Amino acid sequence: MTNFLDAYSIQYWLESCPQGYLEQTEFGHEAGQKEPDALLSDPLLREQAIRVTCQLVSGERAALAASSGLINAAPDEASKRFLATQTLDEARHVEIFTQRLYDLGVKKDELESVLADKTNPNLAQFAEILLEKVDKKDFVSGVVGQNIVLEGMAFTVFEMLEASNKALNPKFAKILSGTIADERRHVGFGENRIGALISQHPEKKPEVEAMQRDMSYFMLATFADQFRNPEMREEIKASREKAGEEQQASWQGAKLGDMEPEELENLLADTVLGEFKQRLSRVGIDYQTPARP
Amino acid sequence: MSEVGEVHDLDPEVFEREVRTFDHWFGAVQDYLSDLEHGHRADIASEELAADEVDRLTTALCNYAVAETAALEASSGLVRLAPNHASKIFLATQAVDEARHVEVILQRLEDIGVEDPAAEIERRANPAVREFKNRLLYLVDSNQWDLAIFAQNVSLEAMEFSAFRAHATVGDPVTCDMLERMLRDERRHLGFGENEIARCLRTDPSRGAQIASVKNELESLAINTFEYTAKELEVESDTITKLGRDYRDAVERLGL
Repeated sequence: MTNFLDAYSIQYWLESCPQGYLEQTEFGHEAGQKEPDALLSDPLLREQAIRVTCQLVSGERAALAASSGLINAAPDEASKRFLATQTLDEARHVEIFTQRLYDLGVKKDELESVLADKTNPNLAQFAEILLEKVDKKDFVSGVVGQNIVLEGMAFTVFEMLEASNKALNPKFAKILSGTIADERRHVGFGENRIGALISQHPEKKPEVEAMQRDMSYFMLATFADQFRNPEMREEIKASREKAGEEQQASWQGAKLGDMEPEELENLLADTVLGEFKQRLSRVGIDYQTPARP
Repeated sequence: MSEVGEVHDLDPEVFEREVRTFDHWFGAVQDYLSDLEHGHRADIASEELAADEVDRLTTALCNYAVAETAALEASSGLVRLAPNHASKIFLATQAVDEARHVEVILQRLEDIGVEDPAAEIERRANPAVREFKNRLLYLVDSNQWDLAIFAQNVSLEAMEFSAFRAHATVGDPVTCDMLERMLRDERRHLGFGENEIARCLRTDPSRGAQIASVKNELESLAINTFEYTAKELEVESDTITKLGRDYRDAVERLGL
């Protein structure tokens, strides 16, 4: 364990993150990068960008509460230190996505009401399941919920968003690329640390598996609400018209521009669930198939 | 972006807007944490320490480790209690600062030949610093935001500030360089604590009596810990008296 945790030290984090891929950035993007005019001037696209970013802020707020709360529950000093770096990563994500809301025109004094209005209730339920475990200082469930389920979902969603924004919105794509690098580290810690703990505490498995199934259900329900929303269809149509054929994004071998919203939903859901399955099996937990909303 | 050394002079509104952001933290630490090796400059030659010097340094570092672990656990626990997101973000930066301090102290213990730092800390930590840690974590666990912020970001940080400065008058070059960089963090944390307690008192002056009561309860533990480590390091008594006064001044600035 000592050797693996050495790779998650503050020293390593300082060198790879603030002194590495975040150097010369400003709120996660390069100085001077702006949201594209085509997005800011189109009410439909701007509204959808605000809606998507609200889910990111709310998800990151949950991750900040969870990672900070898990420090006191951690059974060893090195895990506490890693979780401190994760806490700061999550705080940074909250800050940069909040800044994006301001860049999209949300006023500072309206932030909380906009978030309350637009955060998907299923995402709030997803976070609640995790935070309940954290409040009970249940380290094993908390780390699986946070570093495998929540971070695994965030990682895949960010990758898809990054792919679809690379040509159209380089500023947002750059913000996402930094968060993806962070999430990769968090998922790696979860897999490495939890494997050993699960083998020490096999009695925790049923509880952890039930949590994964319930969180997965609310994640799928969030995706369903997002992709089955009629405005989403309009937004996809509008952004494709603006992007043109030559800028079509691809992800996971699929041309995103050729897909219907329900196909995009299935691609995202299947990719996240596939990743969960792989990661959970690596730490000795049996993946539980959630109900499909 | 304001320099770290200026945080005490900032207008509260500017403090609120600038200091409680990841970007401020990032700019601040880039200045003094770049190109280090375990918290100190890599080109500082390590002095050969005599056995009694190693023994005294080990005791001091073991006591600092307890204080820094207390600060790590408390600052992360306080993220949940923070009344706004700017404070949550500041406390997240503080949690990583404290975690860095724990890491570099444990590494320094290993570098001077301590084989099992955890066991050594258990053996050498002063009861006063352990008791301080227990009381601080009790305030966090019982959701007492202003009292916990006072205990951590004013009392504990001011105590560490005095202890590290005292140590810097007699320490070896590697330890001094490490402590001086930690002091830059502590100054930022102390600035947040003073600012936040002043804000709490403006909002609800009746909280003053309870904060003063926590101050009285913790003062002897903080002074005791500071004096114990300073004497252990053979810091001159005049310096101990002066830095002890600095601790009291930092707390008195709040008018409690």
